[in-house]
Amino acid sequence: MIETAAQVATDEKIVATDVNIYYGAFHAIKGANLKMMENSVTALIGPSGCGKSTFLRSLNRMHDLTPGARVTGNILLDGTDIYGADSDPVVIRHRVGMVFQRPNPFPKTIFENVVYGPKIHGESNPARLREICERSLRQAALWEEVKDRLDRSALDLSGGQQQRLCIARVLAVNPEVILMDEPASALDPIATSKIEDLIGDLKSDYTVVIVTHSMQQAARISDRTAFFHLGEIVEVGTTNQIFTKPREKRTEDYITGRFG
Amino acid sequence: MDVATMEPRTTSLVGASTSVRARKLADQIATVVLWIMASSIILLLALFIVYMFYLGARYLTPSFIFGMPAETSAGGGVGPEIYNSFYILILTLIFTVPISTAAGVYLQEYAPPGRFRELVVFSAESLATIPSIVMGLFGLLVFVYLFKWQFSAIGGALTLTLLNLPALMRVTQEALKSVPDTYREASMGMGATRWQTVLNVVLPSAIGRMTTGIVLIAGRIFGETAALIFTAGLSVSENDPYDLNPFHTAETLAVHLWYTHTESIVPDVDRIGNGSALVLLIMVFVFNIAARVGGRALSKRLTGRPT
Repeated sequence: MIETAAQVATDEKIVATDVNIYYGAFHAIKGANLKMMENSVTALIGPSGCGKSTFLRSLNRMHDLTPGARVTGNILLDGTDIYGADSDPVVIRHRVGMVFQRPNPFPKTIFENVVYGPKIHGESNPARLREICERSLRQAALWEEVKDRLDRSALDLSGGQQQRLCIARVLAVNPEVILMDEPASALDPIATSKIEDLIGDLKSDYTVVIVTHSMQQAARISDRTAFFHLGEIVEVGTTNQIFTKPREKRTEDYITGRFG
Repeated sequence: MDVATMEPRTTSLVGASTSVRARKLADQIATVVLWIMASSIILLLALFIVYMFYLGARYLTPSFIFGMPAETSAGGGVGPEIYNSFYILILTLIFTVPISTAAGVYLQEYAPPGRFRELVVFSAESLATIPSIVMGLFGLLVFVYLFKWQFSAIGGALTLTLLNLPALMRVTQEALKSVPDTYREASMGMGATRWQTVLNVVLPSAIGRMTTGIVLIAGRIFGETAALIFTAGLSVSENDPYDLNPFHTAETLAVHLWYTHTESIVPDVDRIGNGSALVLLIMVFVFNIAARVGGRALSKRLTGRPT
C-alpha cells in the first residue's frame, strides 16, 4: 500500500515540453518545460507579469477563448497532447478544471452553481444532483455554512465562501486536475487559510497546479515549485529545495525579497 | 497651480478662506441647477399626465372602452382598436424578439471582434434611424402590393419588425456585453460549450436589460402610426372586430387617434381623441409594469434573486 502510494505520487500527470505562448506579437512564455506530478501540489511563483498565469491557462486550453493568443509545443495529459488534432477543449476542461483569481460564482442559487457542471455534462437526475451538491460542498468545506440556504443566491455569500463555492463547483464535475490562479489573492487571511487547508485535503484525490504571488503560501501548501521570470521557467524543484537551496541566482534573489 | 498663489498651511478646520468658499458656492449652485433641471422634467411629465386625465377621464366609460367604433355618428368606442394594438404588439414581438436576440447573441458571443462586427453595428444603427413613414411605404410596396396581402395585421407587424429589429438587436448586444467575462470563463472552464454557456449563464444574466429594451420598443409600437397607416389599414376587420386572423385589416388605437383627427367625419372627434390618448397612455403603463414584473420574476427564477 505504502509503495503504491509513493508510486502514484511520482507519476507524471501533465508534462509540458517546449511551450511557447504568444499574444499577437508578444512572446509571453518562452520554451517552458514542466512536469506536474499526480496527487501533488505544484506551485508556480514569480513576480507580476512573469507569465505564470499565462502558462497555467494553457494547461486546459483557456487561451482558445482569447483572440490573438497562440500556444506551441506539447502539453501531455496522461501522455496525450491536449493541443493534438483530436483533442477537444470541452473534454479537456472537463478533466482539467479551473479556479480563478476572483471568486466568480454565477448569479444563480448556491445549488445551481454547484450542479452547473454535472448538468451541462448530462446529469439530470434530481437525487443524483443533490447528492453531488452535498458531496462537493462537503469536500470544499462549505456544506455546514450553506446547507440551509442552498436556494439563496450565491452572490449573497462572503468572498471566501464564494471562492470555496467555486472550488465545489469545479469538484462537482469530478476533474482529475485542478488549476488555481491565485485563488486566495482577493481574500482575507482567515478565508485564505481555509482555502490553503482545503488545497492540502484535495491533493489526495486530485492533481493541483496553483499560481500564487505569495511565497509563504507556496512554501506552506506545495510539493514542487516552479519559479517563473520574464516568461521563462528559471528553476523547478521540490518546494523545500527551491526555498532552502535554490540553484539559480535569480531564484535566490526573488525568494529572499531582492526583487518582485 | 503656482506654488506662490497656494494657500499657506493652516491648522484651522474652518473653511473660511476665499478659495474654499468659492468652491463650496460653485458646488451649491451646481446642486440647485441640477435639481431644477431634474424637477422641471418630472413636473412637466406630471402636468402632462394630469392634463390628459383631465381631458380624457370623463370619457372612459365601458361603452367607449369596449364599444365598437362609429364611422359617421357620435358615440363610437375603441374596443377593437385596443385589441388590435395588443394583437399587433404581440405579433411584432413574436417576430422581433427571437430574431434580434439571436442576432445580438451571434454578434456579441460568436462573431470575432473586428471589421465585420463594426460594420453590422454601424448598419444597425443607421437602419434604426430610418423614419417610420419610409418603413411604412416600404411595407406598402412589399406586403400590400407584392405579396398581395392588402391591409393586414401581419403586414403591419412585419413592418414594425423591420422598424424595431436593429434597435432591439443593439439592445440585446449591449445587454450581453454587460455580462462579465468571468461568467463565461467559469462556464467554459468547466467544459461547457459556447452554446451551453450562452443559454445557461449569459442570457439569464442579461434578462433584466433585455426586458428594458423590449419595454421601450413596446412603447414605440403602441404609439406607432406612420408605419401602420399603409400596412395594417385604417379600419377594424370586417369579419370580426376581435379578429384572430392576421391577414385581415387591423386598425390600432394610435392609428385611430390620428385617423379621427384628420380624416373622419364623426362629430365627437374631441371625445374620441382625448379618450383614446388617455387609454393609450394607460396601456403603455400597464404593459410597462407587466413586463417589468414578468422580467423580475423570470430573473429571480433564473438567478436566485431579482435584478
